[in-house]
Amino acid sequence: MKVEYVNSFYKATKDVLQLLVDIEPQRGEIKVVQDLGSNKDANVELAVVGDLKGTILFSFPKNMTLEMIKIMSGMEMDKIDNFASSALGEVANIIGGNALTLLSQHNYTCDIAPPRIFLGEYKALPVGNGKALLLPLSTPIGEFDITIHLNEGN
Amino acid sequence: MMWKDKYKIGVEAIDQQHEELFRRVSNFNQTIRNEVNWEAKLDKVKETMLFMKDYVIVHFNDEEAYQEQIGYPQIEEHKDAHAKFKQGIDNYVKIFEEEGFTEEKIQEFGGKLMAWLIMHVGNMDQKIGEYVKSKGGQA
Repeated sequence: MKVEYVNSFYKATKDVLQLLVDIEPQRGEIKVVQDLGSNKDANVELAVVGDLKGTILFSFPKNMTLEMIKIMSGMEMDKIDNFASSALGEVANIIGGNALTLLSQHNYTCDIAPPRIFLGEYKALPVGNGKALLLPLSTPIGEFDITIHLNEGN
Repeated sequence: MMWKDKYKIGVEAIDQQHEELFRRVSNFNQTIRNEVNWEAKLDKVKETMLFMKDYVIVHFNDEEAYQEQIGYPQIEEHKDAHAKFKQGIDNYVKIFEEEGFTEEKIQEFGGKLMAWLIMHVGNMDQKIGEYVKSKGGQA
């Protein structure tokens, strides 16, 4: 997996979160993982199709999710309801869209399917071929992960 | 409230409409998330939803007219973004017409609308302000 994939998603995440929730995520150390899974509370899956094929998984802890939606909406949040999960899915969707715009500058033309949101543990899906990269990110309101599994399509 | 001063673009007429739009969306979200029984507040939800749909169109038309007036070079890209935004709202209006105003779908819509609005005003519309400033200030 190429470095521009990770950098595009990191830059898009940083820009979008700065704008939407006034936080600047800091990169942790990238890990190679064998499957797409997470024990965090709220997971958003984006399927990528086109020149690159695969899945991007955003995994957030509950308290961070609630804090993000609170910052955006100005409303108190005590549970991840339909409103909060929909907003979270849309944040991930916007990040994904911006990352694909960045990837298009490296001549990859891709599209993303509508986000799928999973509350509770995300069941690990083995990645078919190749490995996935897990990028941990830390912010003042919590730590979250982006797992990137992309392959160049044939 | 959803509105933050950093969303201002420095063009008073547009900033006022943005603040109004944020206020409406914020009130809408408070209504759909308060503890009042869903059936009891349904009329208010429907009314606010229809008002907002119309207000978004009015605002986008005004903003596009302003962009034409100042010769904004990225007007076509901006019109496309407005068209996609309106399409997003229309898709939900269609769902509500077909499936009724269910609490689940309205909440889903409210969450998305909030993210779309902040992203559009906080990012894309800022470029209008930057262009105006590059041309010597308030147009």
